[in-house]
Amino acid sequence: MAISVKLDRVLLDRGMSLTELSERVGVTIANLSILKTGKAKAIRFSTLEAICHELNCQPGDILFFDEEDSAAKAAE
Amino acid sequence: MRAIGKGSLASILAMGLNIIRIVLWLGFIGLSIAVVVIPFVSVIAGMFQGFDGGDALVDGADYIQLAYQFVSLGVMLFVVTRLLEVLKTLRFGSPFVKENADRFRTVGYALLIGEGAKIAFGLLSLITSADIEIDTQPITWLAIITVFVLAEVFHEGARMKEEQDLTV
Repeated sequence: MAISVKLDRVLLDRGMSLTELSERVGVTIANLSILKTGKAKAIRFSTLEAICHELNCQPGDILFFDEEDSAAKAAE
Repeated sequence: MRAIGKGSLASILAMGLNIIRIVLWLGFIGLSIAVVVIPFVSVIAGMFQGFDGGDALVDGADYIQLAYQFVSLGVMLFVVTRLLEVLKTLRFGSPFVKENADRFRTVGYALLIGEGAKIAFGLLSLITSADIEIDTQPITWLAIITVFVLAEVFHEGARMKEEQDLTV
């Protein structure tokens, strides 16, 4: 997918573990792992809002659009 | 009526299909024995004095009928086994998996082969003395199309389930 998730980087910057974030936002560690490893197919606005609130960041700090990957997939 | 668990429609269906599978296997074994024994029927009959083995004479038409029965039983056994596998996934609570879509598709192809074989053997019986009727029904073809539609529904269902599972 051309959208990549940089949750681990933001967590590292904030010095927060995935378990702690899981407890704060009320999302299971399994689901946060799916998001962190880039396996997620979709993210709810409510989840994104809770993560951004707890990590004090913008959605753009977590989600990135890879233009080259997108172009490569479109060419396939 | 409950969808899963004891006394559910799925468990009743599974029980019925298991019985049908046993009957089909017995039929299959019976046919296999017949294939081995039939060539020796006239020889065995001739061994008994006073027995007129004329009726027991086996010709090519009998083998065509046997081959047709083999194909029919094989198709039925294949379909019943696949349906039992689908019901098994229902019992474990997740029928919308890609494997079930593939199973329904293969059931559709098996039914197509079964109907094709019925027509082919029926045509073959016209040039031989085999007693096989070409009695293909429109409802059978409708059922085959329905199975293919069901396969597509399961394919889409599996995709949606995967998306739901991977939505955070």
